[in-house]
Amino acid sequence: MMTDKGAAELQTKELTINMGPQHPATHGVLRLVLDLDGETVVKCTPYIGYLHRGVEKLGENRTYLTALPLTDRLDYISAMVNNQGYCLAVERLFGIEAPERAQYIRTMVSEMSRISSHILWLGTHALDIGAMTVFLYAFREREWLLDLFEMLCGARLTTSYARVGGIRNDVSQEFIDSLYRFTEEFPGRVEEYETLIDQNRIWLKRTKGIGVIEADEAVNWGLTGPTLRGSGVSYDVRKHAPYDAYDKVKFDVPVGKVGDVYDRYRCRMEEFRQSNRIIQQCIEQLPVGPIMAPDAPKLTLPPKNTVLSSMESMIHHFVLITKGPLAAPEGEIYSAVEAPKGELGFYFVSDGTGRPYRMRVRAPSFVHASVIPRLCEGSLIADVIANIGTVDIVLGECDR
Amino acid sequence: MTFKHLVKTVFLTEIVKGMALTLKTMLTRPVTRQYPKEKRPAMPGFRGLHGLVRDQQTGEARCVGCGLCAAICPSKCIYIYTADSLDHKKIVERYEIEALRCVFCGLCVEACPYSAVILTEHYEYSDYSREAFYMTKEKLLANWDNYMGWEKNMEYFKKFWHPTADDFGFPKNQAVFRGKQNAR
Ligand code: SF4
Ligand code: SF4
Repeated sequence: MMTDKGAAELQTKELTINMGPQHPATHGVLRLVLDLDGETVVKCTPYIGYLHRGVEKLGENRTYLTALPLTDRLDYISAMVNNQGYCLAVERLFGIEAPERAQYIRTMVSEMSRISSHILWLGTHALDIGAMTVFLYAFREREWLLDLFEMLCGARLTTSYARVGGIRNDVSQEFIDSLYRFTEEFPGRVEEYETLIDQNRIWLKRTKGIGVIEADEAVNWGLTGPTLRGSGVSYDVRKHAPYDAYDKVKFDVPVGKVGDVYDRYRCRMEEFRQSNRIIQQCIEQLPVGPIMAPDAPKLTLPPKNTVLSSMESMIHHFVLITKGPLAAPEGEIYSAVEAPKGELGFYFVSDGTGRPYRMRVRAPSFVHASVIPRLCEGSLIADVIANIGTVDIVLGECDR
Repeated sequence: MTFKHLVKTVFLTEIVKGMALTLKTMLTRPVTRQYPKEKRPAMPGFRGLHGLVRDQQTGEARCVGCGLCAAICPSKCIYIYTADSLDHKKIVERYEIEALRCVFCGLCVEACPYSAVILTEHYEYSDYSREAFYMTKEKLLANWDNYMGWEKNMEYFKKFWHPTADDFGFPKNQAVFRGKQNAR
């Protein structure tokens, strides 16, 4: 057929392919439908919802105290930050504050979470792009952090550590010492990762000038976290609306210039160092004192040793567990924390009962998933992988 | 292209540096744990499979059937059926936990005023059927006998029973930073 018609009349048409939901580079179950013209992506449509568990609705059916473990499963690689965000929102709703020691410890563990989340991002992102070694190095340090989490609260990923009004249990001396050792060794490890890929020509070819997004456009898309800072916008909830102990520690907010995959990578590498600095300062400044707020609006469980000996405590214990905190003020509140992926917000509408009337989670991954088509359209199909990696989405949080 | 850049490109300096690092790391001690052969002990306070505490005096479950654990459970996977005994005492007829739906948050342990339910340190309990994970009272008591027992008891509860009076006050010996030398 070719011979009599000639190559000039060869019919070409766009090819539609399905990437995911089980593609290893889509970090969870994200499905992208790609229209391809040769190797160029003409159109990219993300389909989400494969991990939908109805966290927001479940939250409305749980009391303020029992909805906490649900937040572990939003962004399951940085559970500590989610717990902290949730507890802060409830605390602000009730108008209480955690004691200073608890604030320091929360700050410390959420920075550990940030490091562990960025480590996972670095390992998998590099693996997707083709650098396998970094993955193995990165997971060595992640294991250390997860062991520390286990020592702290008995769980490695789904920690449920922060509590409304404080934290679950105090840190042990062994934990503090081991964590300090980690912070002393970790900067050296970050240098190792950089030795492996920072100047590597393949890495540079795959990341420089790919997925560029300008500062004002990034803001318009609602990007937050390192994905926004890579474009040169210095916005960080920890700096602009400090919570817990963030106003008592010193750290910088690294920003990029161009807003490509490489700049976002550089931002996160710098954040490793900054988080490390924060942990170190938290340990050094750790004050002594209570770790739970005194139960003013009857929000925290009474001390265990009094439950069976004091009538009042016992009633309080029973009511709090079965009905939830009854002193909830009516109204609404939005409170945000800086999660490793971006701004994680919790929005509550309270009608004065023990459970929220409406709970909404502003998940950074959800917003970031929407920018994938913008980054991918017009680029090569191989860069789709780099673009998914660079916005750092976790589908558990995106689908909720 | 500067001369320096040219030299870097031709001699693959950054790749050589990376290779040198891998070579160096190759000579350090491996971090891999040969898992099924080499088991890693769970840390104290690990949240694993459930158990029901067997009372030392009566040999029965310590649980009184107050239902607080079922009330606080975020996944609602604890089922408690109580009844009146002949002498008008409350007895726990059935106490069941659907371990497959549990999220291992530890809130049930925290809520129980009698320290009657626990999470043991046992984590290897895969099976071929779903029924194996439906924990009845007998199975839960057996878990206590097999994986916990009385030796660990009080130390164990320290990790779970919170808040305590100490958490609201200024206890002695709180962990603080003791200087770089001591952190080793
Ligand atoms: S650990 Fe949590 S989810 Fe599991 S039974 Fe106890 S309260 Fe329920
Ligand atoms: S809270 Fe404790 S005593 Fe009450 S039903 Fe549960 S296990 Fe039994």
